[in-house]
Amino acid sequence: MELPNIITILANVFKGSRFAAYITAWENFVFSLIIIAVIALVSCAASRKAAMIPARLQNFFELFVSGVDDFVCGIMGPNGRKYVPFIGTLFIYILCMNLSGLIPLMKSPSTSWSTTLALAICVFFYVQYVGFKELGFWGYLDHALGRPRGIVAFSVFIPLMMLLLHVVSELVRPISLSLRLRSNIWGDDMLLAVFAGFGLKGLPLLLFNSLMAIVVSVVQTLVFCLLTTIYFTIVLTHEETHA
Amino acid sequence: MELLKLLSANELVAQIIAFLILLFLMKRFVWKPFLKVLDDRKNRIASEFKSIDDAKDEVAKIRADYEARLAHIEAEARAKIQAAVEEGRKAAEEIRRLARADGEQILAKAQESIKAEVAKAEETLKDKIVNLTIDVAAKVIQEKLTVEDDKAIVETFIREMEKK
Repeated sequence: MELPNIITILANVFKGSRFAAYITAWENFVFSLIIIAVIALVSCAASRKAAMIPARLQNFFELFVSGVDDFVCGIMGPNGRKYVPFIGTLFIYILCMNLSGLIPLMKSPSTSWSTTLALAICVFFYVQYVGFKELGFWGYLDHALGRPRGIVAFSVFIPLMMLLLHVVSELVRPISLSLRLRSNIWGDDMLLAVFAGFGLKGLPLLLFNSLMAIVVSVVQTLVFCLLTTIYFTIVLTHEETHA
Repeated sequence: MELLKLLSANELVAQIIAFLILLFLMKRFVWKPFLKVLDDRKNRIASEFKSIDDAKDEVAKIRADYEARLAHIEAEARAKIQAAVEEGRKAAEEIRRLARADGEQILAKAQESIKAEVAKAEETLKDKIVNLTIDVAAKVIQEKLTVEDDKAIVETFIREMEKK
């Protein structure tokens, strides 16, 4: 059950055609592309007239950029600046996807696990890449083997268990990260669809839930980005401790 | 397994590619230029604050220097005024001394001149008295004289004397 959107309307218009089947299959991706296009166009417009004394749109972008910069560097320290573009892009993309469900004839692409898992996989691979790049292969293995070490049991058994634990925890991260986001937004959109089905009687509930959906969208975006930042921090903190 | 039904491999790959494209665009149009603008502005503000602090330090230094100079100038001015007063006093003393000397000289000259004038007048008077005496004696000799004539002669003599 979900609210009607432009794709479902088009699919109904062209019911039974290959076009209808195609756009239904790629429904979430189409909305993702629309959001990406809007973000890219607005960003392009803002950066075109970037000046030392900012205008309205530039002011908004500077506020956003400095906010993300403070958020990431506040957790990771000055080294975090390298990861600001990645985490900031995740933030704006996820937030727009979450909020797009509140716009009439639109849908939140983040209600699809494929969408959120795609982002979580990007986070996973980038974190692993940073780990290998900063620590090197042996350093990364050393990090995965964990502590304590020393006597025979500590030299073999515990490190192997720790390695196993590390691998499992690393593999579970994208799943937990993506499912948490997808389920919260999906739940919100379901509630909106249910309350919309009540007609005028459900209007107060619909309005209240819309406000709640805004809050949940922002909070879930922050949680996703915060966890991503923490994953980077864990890798880099380990590196600094060994150094 | 139920969960896996929610996934679509095609969509997953497409979403990853779409996100990477967005990441590239955002890096190009948002993160690089805006982080640069923010850093430039931060550096500019920091450098301007630093230059303000430097200017303040410079002003404080100049002010201290100025005050020290002012104090020195005041002492110097006092010393100069003192010297000028002393010089003035000496000049006045000198002028007074010269004036006194001049005055004494003029007085002496005047006295000498008066003396000379008096002597000259006395000489002239003496000459005139002699002449008169000679004149009177000549008259006495020329005329036969009575007591009344004597009186008259003397009175005439005195009147002439007074006239002269």
